[in-house]
Amino acid sequence: MAQGMLGAFLEIDAACDAIAALRKGNVGAITVFTPTPRHEFEHALQPPKSPVRKFTLIGALSGATFGYWISIWGSNYWPMVVGGKPISTWIPYTIFAFELMVLVGGLSTVAGLFIMARVPRLTMTVGYDPRFSGSHYGVWVECAPEKLKEAETILRQAGAEDVRSEQ
Amino acid sequence: MATLAQPDVVNAADEPKRPNIAKAGLPLPAVKDYAQVDREIMNTLKFSKGWFALLMVAVGLLAIGAASWIYQIYAGLGVAGYSPPVMWGVYIITFVFWIGIGHAGTLISAILYLFRAGFRTTIYRCAEAMTVFAVMTAGLFPIIHIGRPWKFFWLIPYPNWRLLWPNFKSPLVWDVFAISTYLTISVTFLFIGLLPDIATLRDAEKNPIKKQLLSILSFGWRNSENEWRHFARAYLFLAAFSTPLVLSVHSVVSFDFSMALVPGWHTTIFAPYFVAGAIFSGMGMVFTIIIPIRKWFKLEHYVTLNIMDAGAKLTLFTSLVVGCAYLAEFFIAWYSGVQVEQDYFWNRVFGQWWWTAWIMLTCNMILPLSLFSQKLRRNPAWLFILSLFINLGMWYERFVIIVPGLSHEFEPWQWGGYRPTWVDIGILVGSFGWFFMWFLLFIKQLPVIAIAEVKEIVPPRLRRPAAAHAAHGATAGGH
Repeated sequence: MAQGMLGAFLEIDAACDAIAALRKGNVGAITVFTPTPRHEFEHALQPPKSPVRKFTLIGALSGATFGYWISIWGSNYWPMVVGGKPISTWIPYTIFAFELMVLVGGLSTVAGLFIMARVPRLTMTVGYDPRFSGSHYGVWVECAPEKLKEAETILRQAGAEDVRSEQ
Repeated sequence: MATLAQPDVVNAADEPKRPNIAKAGLPLPAVKDYAQVDREIMNTLKFSKGWFALLMVAVGLLAIGAASWIYQIYAGLGVAGYSPPVMWGVYIITFVFWIGIGHAGTLISAILYLFRAGFRTTIYRCAEAMTVFAVMTAGLFPIIHIGRPWKFFWLIPYPNWRLLWPNFKSPLVWDVFAISTYLTISVTFLFIGLLPDIATLRDAEKNPIKKQLLSILSFGWRNSENEWRHFARAYLFLAAFSTPLVLSVHSVVSFDFSMALVPGWHTTIFAPYFVAGAIFSGMGMVFTIIIPIRKWFKLEHYVTLNIMDAGAKLTLFTSLVVGCAYLAEFFIAWYSGVQVEQDYFWNRVFGQWWWTAWIMLTCNMILPLSLFSQKLRRNPAWLFILSLFINLGMWYERFVIIVPGLSHEFEPWQWGGYRPTWVDIGILVGSFGWFFMWFLLFIKQLPVIAIAEVKEIVPPRLRRPAAAHAAHGATAGGH
């Protein structure tokens, strides 16, 4: 079961200081909550690049391939023979390839977002406060029971408005 | 002690009058902190008598449209104004009109996002919702136009035993793919952008039933840095996909005409001409919607005059492109030396359809030239009036493309007239009711301005003064 300490901050620099101190002290796994994306947290956390782009690429390539395939297969299976004209022709079929590239690529991107961000989430789980979608920044440190005190001290020293333990 | 970082410009009256619209963080001087953003934008969700009255008007218009359509289904397509040779009329005109309206939403939400144009932030949600409802409206018209709507699934190209083989070389089949993709991606883009705002509504909600509903709709979004990181990447890719998509959709709609051997239609200029016209008409509708919203909801400090100014410049630019396309059409007809083409354009402007062509030219080419004046670009009342003329002019542009072409083909025996009936007009009016009904419902359920994105341009609260914060490696400009 997850156990840890949650700090709510009104100031962004205070939250960044807390993250830096927690990382330095190797207290535990850090989750940051912010009402809007801020580069300050990216700098503080230095997370890896999002792999959502791989979902996009695979989806887009699959969609384009399917678009060409369905139009060529459909034309060959139910041929409309017009003298001197090819039964399958790539120029108009690029429209299907393009549209399906966008459709499948776009939906794969959303699937990538959901998988990587782990949404839909059925419960809020521990370490969340409704203030984090309003005016506050949140820092949740998931750590062992013996490190809880240290985490609390760091969060308070950094300037957290409110600190509480959750499990 | 906590200090609030000062924005670039402090006083609303001091807003620069020649804003750099290419700047990512166009400031909102009168918006001070996150709590103000939440409070003011959530206030727009409160029901009012005025809103209810408008909804009743929209539903009333929709009822007129529905009654007209029911009558047409009962009596047959003959009650519409079709008579040979003009067998495409108000329904196809209105279809192209609404598809065009739908284009500004994606332009503002996706293309301007990629260009980091700051003026999109407070108007894009409205434009995105407009796109979705406009495409929903447009999608009804091919079904109304076929006369027997219960056979609409015949439009979908799949192999079957009805001797209707899928013809992948037909522009009508391209249309089905393009518009279905556009609707799906537009809805997805709108919904993904809404997730953080629904989470904000959920967290502020006191009513347990509503809270539960919003929890489901928000997919349990928690605003964690991990969620935002993937969200930003996904949003970027969706924008990157939507940009060529918006260009392709109206190009494909233009192919419905340009692939046909009809004078005035069979021309290579149609795709860019349609795309520019679509963006122009969409900007017109954005102004029609956003100007009353900013006034009634008291959001003038979010949709500032600088933002209106920037939008007006975009409208002026697209008007010039559209005007250029009109003139190029005349030139091509003259320079081609083809008598039929020349006759067609003469008939369009000085003959049978002169009044429609001059409504189009006045509303789309002449009146928007007023936007060269900065004073008028910063005058919401004028922008609203002009936007109504643009809506009218763009509907007539589609009339001018479709009806004169079909009524004046190659041989005199193919010449004829066209007069819409009350059924056509009723369904046209109903389409506005349908569109505005959805829009009015939307603005009272979900934020019409993106809360999370506005917070990005509001300077965050700091414990130390801004100078020390900058040294820390952080910026007040946000994402």
